Amino acid sequence: MMESAWLIPLFPLASFLFLLLFGSRLKEAASAWVGMFFTFASFVWSVFVLFDRLQSPTYKAEAGWLAIGDVQLTAGIEINQLNALMLMIVSLISFLVHMYSKGYMHGDARLPVFYAYLGFFTFAMLGLVMAPNLLQLYFFWELVGLGSFLLIGFYFYKDEAKRAAKKAFIMTRIGDVGLLVGMILLFWQVGSFEYDEIFQAVQAGAISAEIITLTAILIFIGAIGKSGQFPLHTWLPDAMEGPTPVSALIHAATMVAAGVYLVAAMFPLFTASETALTIVAVTGGFTAIFAASIGLVQKDIKRVLAYSTVSQLGYMMLALGSAGYAAGIFHLMTHAFFKALLFLAAGSVIHAVHTQDIEEMGGLWKKMKITGPLFLIGTLAISGVPLFSGFFSKDEILVAAWQHGNQGLFWLALIAAFFTAFYMFRLFFMVFTGDSRKTETNVRESPATMTLPMIVLGVLAIISGYANTHWFGTFLGDWLVEGNEYLAHVHSEAPGWIMLAATAVSAAGILLAYFIYSKRAISRSWMGGENSTVYIALYNKYFIDETYQFSFVALTRWISLFLSYIDRFIVGGLVNAVTGTVQSLGRVGSRLQNGQTQLYGTIAFLGLAVLVVIFALTGRYFG
Amino acid sequence: MDMETMLSYDWGAMAPEFIILGTAILLSILDLFAPKQFNRRSLAWLGLTGIFLAFITLLGLMGQETVSILHDTFKLDSFAVAFKLILLFGSALVIVMAHSYEPPEGMNEYRGEFYYLFLAALLGAMVMASSGDLITLFVGLELLSISSYILAGMRKKNLQSNEAAMKYVVNGGISTAITLFGMSYLYGLSGTTNLKEMSAWMVGVFDSQFQYLFGLAFFMILVGLTFKIASAPFHMWAPDVYQGAPTPVTAFLSVISKTAGFAMIYRILIGLFITAPGDSMGAFTFLEKNQVYLAFLAGITMIIGNILALRQRNIKRLFAYSSIAQAGYVLVAVATLGGGTFLFDTVWFYLMAYVFMNLGAFSVIQLVTEKSDTEDISGFAGLYKRSPWLAAVLSIFLLSLAGIPGTAGFIGKLNIILGSVTVEPGHYVLASIMMGTTVISYFYYFGIMTQMFFRPVQGAGNIKIPAGISVVLIVCAIGTILFGIMPSLAFDFLHVNFGDFADFFAL
Repeated sequence: MMESAWLIPLFPLASFLFLLLFGSRLKEAASAWVGMFFTFASFVWSVFVLFDRLQSPTYKAEAGWLAIGDVQLTAGIEINQLNALMLMIVSLISFLVHMYSKGYMHGDARLPVFYAYLGFFTFAMLGLVMAPNLLQLYFFWELVGLGSFLLIGFYFYKDEAKRAAKKAFIMTRIGDVGLLVGMILLFWQVGSFEYDEIFQAVQAGAISAEIITLTAILIFIGAIGKSGQFPLHTWLPDAMEGPTPVSALIHAATMVAAGVYLVAAMFPLFTASETALTIVAVTGGFTAIFAASIGLVQKDIKRVLAYSTVSQLGYMMLALGSAGYAAGIFHLMTHAFFKALLFLAAGSVIHAVHTQDIEEMGGLWKKMKITGPLFLIGTLAISGVPLFSGFFSKDEILVAAWQHGNQGLFWLALIAAFFTAFYMFRLFFMVFTGDSRKTETNVRESPATMTLPMIVLGVLAIISGYANTHWFGTFLGDWLVEGNEYLAHVHSEAPGWIMLAATAVSAAGILLAYFIYSKRAISRSWMGGENSTVYIALYNKYFIDETYQFSFVALTRWISLFLSYIDRFIVGGLVNAVTGTVQSLGRVGSRLQNGQTQLYGTIAFLGLAVLVVIFALTGRYFG
Repeated sequence: MDMETMLSYDWGAMAPEFIILGTAILLSILDLFAPKQFNRRSLAWLGLTGIFLAFITLLGLMGQETVSILHDTFKLDSFAVAFKLILLFGSALVIVMAHSYEPPEGMNEYRGEFYYLFLAALLGAMVMASSGDLITLFVGLELLSISSYILAGMRKKNLQSNEAAMKYVVNGGISTAITLFGMSYLYGLSGTTNLKEMSAWMVGVFDSQFQYLFGLAFFMILVGLTFKIASAPFHMWAPDVYQGAPTPVTAFLSVISKTAGFAMIYRILIGLFITAPGDSMGAFTFLEKNQVYLAFLAGITMIIGNILALRQRNIKRLFAYSSIAQAGYVLVAVATLGGGTFLFDTVWFYLMAYVFMNLGAFSVIQLVTEKSDTEDISGFAGLYKRSPWLAAVLSIFLLSLAGIPGTAGFIGKLNIILGSVTVEPGHYVLASIMMGTTVISYFYYFGIMTQMFFRPVQGAGNIKIPAGISVVLIVCAIGTILFGIMPSLAFDFLHVNFGDFADFFAL
């Protein structure tokens, strides 16, 4: 089965080409079926490949692609554990999103184009996760970026969407330059882009420690860009301008996980440098709490989820940086399921109430009998409530951070877990409980094409955690490192109190959210009335809220405000300074270009004179 | 020279040049005597046939031993064949483009002139690629230049076109004077105009005073030639001329004239100075010792081209700066000698990729600016709606120019960057400038794509693509993608047919 794994990315490519050429002649439903058919084929194939890989060793096939002198570049496929798992995750979520879009995008005139773009993206992402060398990975890495650009800008008539698409592309490109430079440095040192040869060279000590650290950091910069880590994260929340299924596919489950995948795929390089690992861990830990605190004050349902994605990706990086290879990938998997679920459920809500502002939502629990419970499952999973998948994977990460000796980061991660539980339940309570704050009367549950994928993800959001537990067995973790000479599986018992602490902070977060938002929801509905006595009575109720606000929330609010100011002025300022310099250079240059042909000749003469003078002075030809 | 020596030469080596010359003469006669109402547009097909025949003949000449005739002034070595392939192929595409060119004020009266002047320019470029002597090099250069001056002013009733031609002549005169002055030093020192003899003499010169004069000659010729390839410090004419000249001429200047310029840089600067000693010990060759100047010019050129392109609203001006930047990338390969062992492959591949992507882009530009009646980039707004195919192929060309993987442009850039870091000593600064400026270039290339895909439609109606242009577009798009995915096709072709270009240095 693994011999034919190269077919997997070709299915969505076929879908893309077919829809691009004949899409305009197809009916809306037909193009959706085409997309679904091809991605389903990919999914089935991926499942077979995964099962095959469970029984047999890593499969690798390569052919010469380009020979320059004695340098031989190859192209091919590699199915190791990580790749097989990623293939399954990507193709499954892509298929579910294809299905969901049939309902969500219903009535959009450019539906064939949408499905074509989705196919293109899926092709690129599947190609990325089976690349056997860095050059091929880079190739698909860029195509993934292009797919994301097209999909974010799908609503191109909206100014924000256009801007977001451009921003996403350019911000991630900044990271890509790091990756490219790191790649080329490695090539220069090792003479190959192949993972295996690079790792062998690292093990054999053929590369100096400084170069290992430098290249690892450069490659990590690429991962920072794609995975929305601080300070290159700002494109991700803006990318929410794209259609919601796109957010679920690209900006929750697949593309943003590519950065984590890259670090995992290059893991032996990172473990060879303690400095690089620390940088990964610190960046991840900081991003986790930084984004979580911003998530506390957002009002747009998708933006809350976007910041939570950034934060969760930070967790994964923290895990990898703490040498928790299996923990990072485990969380990547569970997160892919529950975050895709949350996005799809959010899409279902938006589909029903036609707004993204959570202040205008409320009381949807009774009206959306399927979406509500599913959203709750996702929320419980991400908050780390016991028995749900997020609980197990987050616990693994905390254990990894603790055992690696990153105690400061451990506490940060624990606080971030508290924040996560708090803002996710704030979201849940404001959207689903209380009374409706907007007079959207015609709220209906979404059609089956939308609820069915959510149900599948809901089930996975619960059960996927049992792939790796300390109660029943760490199947996933054992399998991932099996036969991999570069990874040693640390099989030590975790201190039991970590699990308790994690449970306690998530419970605290949930309770706090309940007190603040469930009550405020009630008070608001009364405030809406014209009766002034009730209004005054409520004022006192609200006063309690204010107390909470001043004691608990104010502090975090200030912190998050402070952080978002840093974000806006310092990080943004740096970016603006760079672009500003480039632009003013351009202005000066254009002023020189004044159309006077005398000047052109003068510049040429001056250039010649400068060259000759420098040549004469430095060449020691006189005296 | 008596008849016997004349007949003893292997004139077959010059057959492609003779075919182009014959076609040009035939076209001029036809243009002169054909009745007024005769539509001279169809002369393009005759010109194309000529180029095609020359191309076939050239393919037939491939794989022979180096032929050198007319006292070593004209030689057909693998380098000449490889570059002439690019020149002929590019010219064929441009002449098809020109067939569909229709400026607003019409150009029926001079359409005939266009084709034979164009072939004359091509002939000059081919002679440059094949020269073994300063005299023939210079004659080729002037034949190319003077024909180009007239071509730039082809739209006689258009003010901008006149301005372009005037500026081109003046700047071209300056550059020629500088080049010629540099050449005179070489002649004065060595007492010969023949490159082979000159090179043989220079190898043995260890006197540093002589080497200083080599330096003067080197820099003067270099600066003069930067005019032809539009790189710093002689790049400033390019935006004005590219903007004013008729679009097919702009395409010609940016691709074919530039390729010829690089051929000449190879013939004189690399050919002579790569073996000439650079110090009194002979520890370094002249080129090794002075690489840094070429690197400096390459860096400046990339920075100027890419940064100034950011501010352009006129699409042809934008592409002028883009082509300055592209010349900078190729200069990086020249400065780092393509990583040592790939002196020719890297540059040849990049120039070939450049033919595909840039001529493709110019074909779309020609079509869209004619139909939108504006050269502002807003003319591209909503192109995806007006003509999805045109938008799709232009995207391919832009992605390739920007160097996105999957395109020939990416492979070209990758080769250059890999070459510049693997050579000893590595040119890291230059490689970083190249990567940094490449990122800057995304802004303007993607700016055009944003216009095409994300802006509402400007200007009415769908665009009908003339048959000729669509052939050019298909060829260019296939080439751009094919050599992006399977670059080994091109490299294998080079290795099989030209080996490692060893005969370039054969003394």
